[in-house]
Amino acid sequence: MKIDDKSSGDVKIVSPAGRLDASSSEELKARMEGLIGDGCRKMVLNFDGVEYISSSGLRVMLASLKQLRKTGGDLKLASLKPYVRETFEIAGFTQLFEIYDGEDEAVAEFGK
Amino acid sequence: MSGALLLALIDKICVIVVAAYLITRTSRFSEVLDGKLTAKNQAALVLIFGAFSVFGTVSGVEIAGVIANVRDLGPMIGGLVGGPLVGLGAGLIGGGYRYILGGFTGLPCSIATVLAGAFGGAVYLLNRQRFVGIRGAVIFSVFVESFHMLLVLLISDPYSEALMVVRETGIPMIASNAIGMLIFAFMISNLIKERETKEERDEYLAELERKKTELNIAREIQESFLPETVPPLKGFDLAAKSLPAKEVGGDFYDFIPISKDEMGLVIADVSGKSVPAALFMVLSRAMVKASAAKNPSVSEVAKRANDLIAADAKSGMFVTLFYAILDQKARTLRYVNAGHNPPLVLNGETGNLTLLKTRGIAMGVMDDAEMEEREIGIGEGDLVVFYTDGVTEASDDGFYQFGVERLVETVKKNSHLSAAGLVEKITGEVLAFSKGAPQFDDITLMVLKGERTR
Repeated sequence: MKIDDKSSGDVKIVSPAGRLDASSSEELKARMEGLIGDGCRKMVLNFDGVEYISSSGLRVMLASLKQLRKTGGDLKLASLKPYVRETFEIAGFTQLFEIYDGEDEAVAEFGK
Repeated sequence: MSGALLLALIDKICVIVVAAYLITRTSRFSEVLDGKLTAKNQAALVLIFGAFSVFGTVSGVEIAGVIANVRDLGPMIGGLVGGPLVGLGAGLIGGGYRYILGGFTGLPCSIATVLAGAFGGAVYLLNRQRFVGIRGAVIFSVFVESFHMLLVLLISDPYSEALMVVRETGIPMIASNAIGMLIFAFMISNLIKERETKEERDEYLAELERKKTELNIAREIQESFLPETVPPLKGFDLAAKSLPAKEVGGDFYDFIPISKDEMGLVIADVSGKSVPAALFMVLSRAMVKASAAKNPSVSEVAKRANDLIAADAKSGMFVTLFYAILDQKARTLRYVNAGHNPPLVLNGETGNLTLLKTRGIAMGVMDDAEMEEREIGIGEGDLVVFYTDGVTEASDDGFYQFGVERLVETVKKNSHLSAAGLVEKITGEVLAFSKGAPQFDDITLMVLKGERTR
């Protein structure tokens, strides 16, 4: 799958594109773990290009969130499509993650 | 170069090809290539390449009264493949034999052969105990033969005769040793490649075997923890089924007797695959069962089970779980939804559809999670369909998903069926829909039907 990442100040913005199923989730996991390993503490995941997320995708989000919060960082989500938002809602993960309409808002929230 | 000389050279090359083939195929040689430099293997190579060096001397081709030969070839290869001891040993045999033959070039020629082996060993060590490759070996042989000629010029007496020998035999000696080296190096590097390919294939097969075993273990764990039979209920019809995917996930369902009239129903989906998911499933199932014992409050059970699971959950592991207590007397279902796909309730009279959602979160995600409890009445003819995402996310090869709507449609159309009949009908439809595409996730279904008593 295509995964872009860019920086805005000390915030890393990761934008996957495509379906987050079992195998592409592994790719995303490797990328996020790499960034966290390189010292990233503030991360925004832009879901604008994601039409579908499976429970493996949720697991990757959860693992990264736990890892980041353990070291005082955070993972914020942005631009969730209806299907993806519903998957987060069903699992109750909307209680766990901060979710924003757009990437800029999520990044701005880190600055507060 | 005369025709006879050319023929003689071709003849010799053929012998070298055969010798190279036979030598490189010996088990000793293969073991040395694998880095097994035991004393026995080294001794064997010393003898083989020493003998080959002697053969090089006696098979020499006469050019203008001087013999061009491939005596240095054996020790060089021995050194390049087996290290300094093999090179030196083979060199001493070949060089010693040459020394006994005498002649005015005897001393420099035998020293050159010993050193050829020693240099080969040095290259082997410098190349981190690996064969230097075809090009490296050929360049090395040219260098060694040139050095051999230099030794003849420096040591042999009288100088004028030595000069004549070098002039006559220099080029043929360098060329024939280089050709011999090319043949050997080619075979050796082929052999190394062959062995690497075989090693990779073996590793791949072993990995495949390991994975298969792991999957079988996971499946056995999962299957052994599913209830074998459905408990008999008063006034309700209940059926359940789980079809594990090839890469086993961690779906499960369970029935937990609470009291005379109450039966606990569980359906759950553990995130993850294979053995870790199967083990997490066993853990989750045990925690729920332990928490549920004789406890009439489903929210309390869910909270307690969540705390137990969260304490054990490795990062990222979680389980979505729906837990309900069916009261057969009051004909109610008290339920709590911990992040699971909301079960469908189809009203037998009105045909209205309700989704069993509550405020909750997948278990193992956070401590002290809030778990809301709700209750719904189950009338005669009402259908409750519990399922995991393997049902709705089953996709055809074009990535279209079975989806909730198709599930609802199937339930509505077949509401006259028994619980077991409906379970079969739905799994049949899901499998027909995803026909051709591999089953990625477990498909688990449980159907509860309020029986008509009239």
